[in-house]
Amino acid sequence: MTASATQRRADPASPAIRVRDLSVAAAGEIVRPMSFDVHPGEPFTILGSSGSGKSLLSQAIMGNLPEGLTASGRVEIDGVDVLALPRKAREAMWGRTLSLLPQEPWHALDPTMTALPQVAETHRHVRGLAEAESASRARDDLAALGLPPEAADKLPMQLSGGMAQRVVFAAAQAGGAPIVIVDEPTKGLDASRRDDVVALLKRAVEAGGVLLTITHDIAVARQLGGYVMVMRAGELQEEGPAATVLANPRSAYARQLIAADPENWPVAARPPVAADAPEVLRAEGVAVIRGGRHLVTGFDLAVRAGEIVGVTGDSGCGKSSLGDTLLGLLKPGAGRVTRAPGLAPHRFLKLYQDPPTAFSRHWPMRVLLDDVVRLHRLDPGRIPPLMERLRLAPELLERDSRSISGGELQRFSILRALLLDPVFIFADEPSSRLDPIIQQEIVALLAEMARERRCALLLVSHDMALVDHVCDRRIAL
Amino acid sequence: MGKMIRAVVVPRALQAVMVAWTVGTLTFVLTRALPGDMAYRIAAGRYGYDNVDAAAAAAVRQELGLDQPPLLAYASWLWDLLTLNLGRDMVSNEPVWSEVTHQVGHSLVLALVAIAFAVLLGPALGVAAGLRRRGALDHASLALSTALRSVPPFILGIGLILVVAVELRWLPAAGHGGFAHAVLPGLALALGLAAVSSRVTRNAVVAVARSPFFAFARTKGLGEALAFRRHGVRNVAVPVVSYFGVQLIYLIEGVVVVESLFAWPGIGHALVHAIVARNVPMIQGTALVMGLMFVALNAVVDGICWGLDPRRRAS
Amino acid sequence: MTAIASTDGFGLRLGALLGTPGRRLGFALLAAIVAFAWLVPLLHGGDIASQNLMRTLAAPTAAEPFGTDHLGRSMIVRLAAAVRLSLGLALLSVATAVVPGVAVGILGGWYGGAVDRVFVTIADSVLALPGLLLVLILSAIAPGNFWALYVGISLVMWIEYYRVVRAYTQTIARSPEIQSSRLLGFGMGYCVRRHILPEVLPVVATMGAFGAAGAIMAISALGFVNIGVRPPTAELGLMMTELFPYFDEAPLIMLQPIGVVFLLVLSLNLIAGSDPK
Repeated sequence: MTASATQRRADPASPAIRVRDLSVAAAGEIVRPMSFDVHPGEPFTILGSSGSGKSLLSQAIMGNLPEGLTASGRVEIDGVDVLALPRKAREAMWGRTLSLLPQEPWHALDPTMTALPQVAETHRHVRGLAEAESASRARDDLAALGLPPEAADKLPMQLSGGMAQRVVFAAAQAGGAPIVIVDEPTKGLDASRRDDVVALLKRAVEAGGVLLTITHDIAVARQLGGYVMVMRAGELQEEGPAATVLANPRSAYARQLIAADPENWPVAARPPVAADAPEVLRAEGVAVIRGGRHLVTGFDLAVRAGEIVGVTGDSGCGKSSLGDTLLGLLKPGAGRVTRAPGLAPHRFLKLYQDPPTAFSRHWPMRVLLDDVVRLHRLDPGRIPPLMERLRLAPELLERDSRSISGGELQRFSILRALLLDPVFIFADEPSSRLDPIIQQEIVALLAEMARERRCALLLVSHDMALVDHVCDRRIAL
Repeated sequence: MGKMIRAVVVPRALQAVMVAWTVGTLTFVLTRALPGDMAYRIAAGRYGYDNVDAAAAAAVRQELGLDQPPLLAYASWLWDLLTLNLGRDMVSNEPVWSEVTHQVGHSLVLALVAIAFAVLLGPALGVAAGLRRRGALDHASLALSTALRSVPPFILGIGLILVVAVELRWLPAAGHGGFAHAVLPGLALALGLAAVSSRVTRNAVVAVARSPFFAFARTKGLGEALAFRRHGVRNVAVPVVSYFGVQLIYLIEGVVVVESLFAWPGIGHALVHAIVARNVPMIQGTALVMGLMFVALNAVVDGICWGLDPRRRAS
Repeated sequence: MTAIASTDGFGLRLGALLGTPGRRLGFALLAAIVAFAWLVPLLHGGDIASQNLMRTLAAPTAAEPFGTDHLGRSMIVRLAAAVRLSLGLALLSVATAVVPGVAVGILGGWYGGAVDRVFVTIADSVLALPGLLLVLILSAIAPGNFWALYVGISLVMWIEYYRVVRAYTQTIARSPEIQSSRLLGFGMGYCVRRHILPEVLPVVATMGAFGAAGAIMAISALGFVNIGVRPPTAELGLMMTELFPYFDEAPLIMLQPIGVVFLLVLSLNLIAGSDPK
């Protein structure tokens, strides 16, 4: 793809994409009018949390807005106003002038077709190459992206997330489009995979390609460099060179957003764990086995009350299974896990990555909390002060998990756990599905509560910076 | 190939064994549950009341194993079944095996005509409705499908007889002959199948058209028709064909009643006759063959799914 | 219990239950048919078997608003009786099938193990044959008997509930929401009540409506081929067979049982949802 990008190197002075007063509307305006220029060779990044309208912006430029949404303003690509073009003419640019790297590569691949033909068909039908040459080019593309040769003949369900990402990248690029629009390229990827993807994108741009990236991930914006626009609720907050905006944000929202990046968290005062803090859980020579696979072996750990231990590692390395083993949900393959004597079993608890999956969606929060209160004969009077402490509005009690935001729901999980005076909580990526600002809030609350109530906390995260800022010590798997 | 045998052939072969066992056991219970002196009545049915004597009844008693202790009788009943020794028709005194093998051909023809009609009508309508979602055709096909699904096949058959055969005199109402005789019973069965499979197809088309992989095929530069050919057709066909497997129950159940309505000389017609006459050997033979036909059609559907869906082959 | 005032016992909301316009039409249609079937004996009276050979295949009159059949029997009385028989038998079969199907499905899905495998094997062997064949053979064992139909239909039907509920339970039992409730100290009963039943019951309700529609079609098909109940019982399929030869003379009489089967099945299909699952 690098070759094709250089073929059509445009004059760096004139923008490849010139956007003037572009807005997106359905019944009302969803994205307020925006103007910007994207130049070849300079990454352009739109940064914003979910619901900021940034994906709509990319679809408006691409020309594939969902039914019922309309774009107005001007979008010039190589000098032509594409919003004025008929649909057919816009579609003709797909793959040839503009290509879109979709979110969630797994779902972007045809589940019933192996990887190679999904790349080859772009060569064959977009470039118009012969059948055999298309296949051999596709094979080369995949190899160039570092995919093992056998991956070419695998179905999407047999590929890892990172491999699928690269297949999608090859398929999108095979048509030779010089302009690449990327929508959330790192959603659901580990930190190391994220760095790989960013490197791929940078390579394309350094060869003179045009790159417009949409992301919620500040690290991606920082690594790409170039020019950054910060969006919130369909409105531009701030723009400028990445180095300036990310180091010295001026708008209130950008400041908040960038401060929420774990890299930028203030170093919290970490009171040392009391020397006499009792040990609550000990693992000796534990082996974690799931589905016949040995994920972790010879694991030793002793956690004391009030201690916060970070657990890091790429996805699939057995972090969650380790938690299940420590909590006694999974039998250890070897070794043993012992709990401090005299503690009720329900004081060893877990927080989940995806908060909605931890609640039955059929009942309002009040019912589920009352159940816990009744089962353990607790004082229901403890709920209101805890809700206040966790900044949960009382009216949320009447809603079910489907009508509560992820951040609020995670705070309800914490509340439900705190009701039982936990001594040990395994928090499995409790904030990774949340927007950065909410993530910071949740993690800070969780750490505060653990220290205050002298509860041991095992905090799993793929984000090293987050772990380093919060935890007393770190275990890498 | 070995994988396919393990994934498709073996489970269906086990199902065939299960069919034989279920039919064998139920018909054995039937022989034991028959009231009065069964042997005498069967002999009477076979030779006429005037010609029955104790010797004839004894012969029948021995033939059906009515004089044996139950467990032993059950074992020998199943053994006969296993060796395809299905006995003689109690009414015609012909061997059951030769009768049912003759009838199953007719039923298979009817089933295949019905499947052919259903495949021609249902998926085509479904694709057309799915491509113009919420269009007039989509609404009309939903209404038509809901209505057709609410009519059992034999009532559709009655309607077809009354309108096409009796009023319009276009096609024969009943009996068996050339293709013309198969059209109405075939349609009676096919309309219900098509009603359901058109909606299954329509929903699959809508799902594919909205899928991220179809959107990606478009943005990487494939035109709409090409993207549908390469990524739509197979992804639509997989659920449609697998659902067809579910519908085979409807087809086989329909065959029983529709054959009776149209006096089609197939296995379903024979089964109903045998049940009315409590002709045990024929009940066993026809139910067995009908069940095996069901298993065989299912195996064919499984095989097609296997060929269509690489995910099945990979897992 | 005041806390759950906003929902009924299993988290089903009335609005969601009535749902789409199609479903509301289905309920209205079914209510009308039920009212007809159970009000006719109160308001009109008469016997399904009393013949009047002086007035056969009579056109509708004020006294006989639906006319009479080939033996001069009152069509309105016979139709109402036939609906009571079909609908009653169908609903009874569904009710009989749902309780063990759901219970065994939850137990099997939750515990797995040997007992579950036994039930899976039973289910597979019963479903190896299309259900109607099984019902046919059973009705040969006890011919003309209402109970043979009832046992046969229920026997085939419970397996569907069992299989679906078992599959749902297996998925839910492995889900974080159950794991989380177990860690909080809740037992199986709680998990069934709060997690499994609210998930499963709407599906079972849909299947129940489809199942009742299927049972009504099966009963009429068996009646039509003279298996199942015996004359002079008023049964919709049997009535069609009896009236078929007189179609030329009295087409409207013959169309009555056909229309009733159609409306009954349509109402249940609409309640289940307009598209097949």
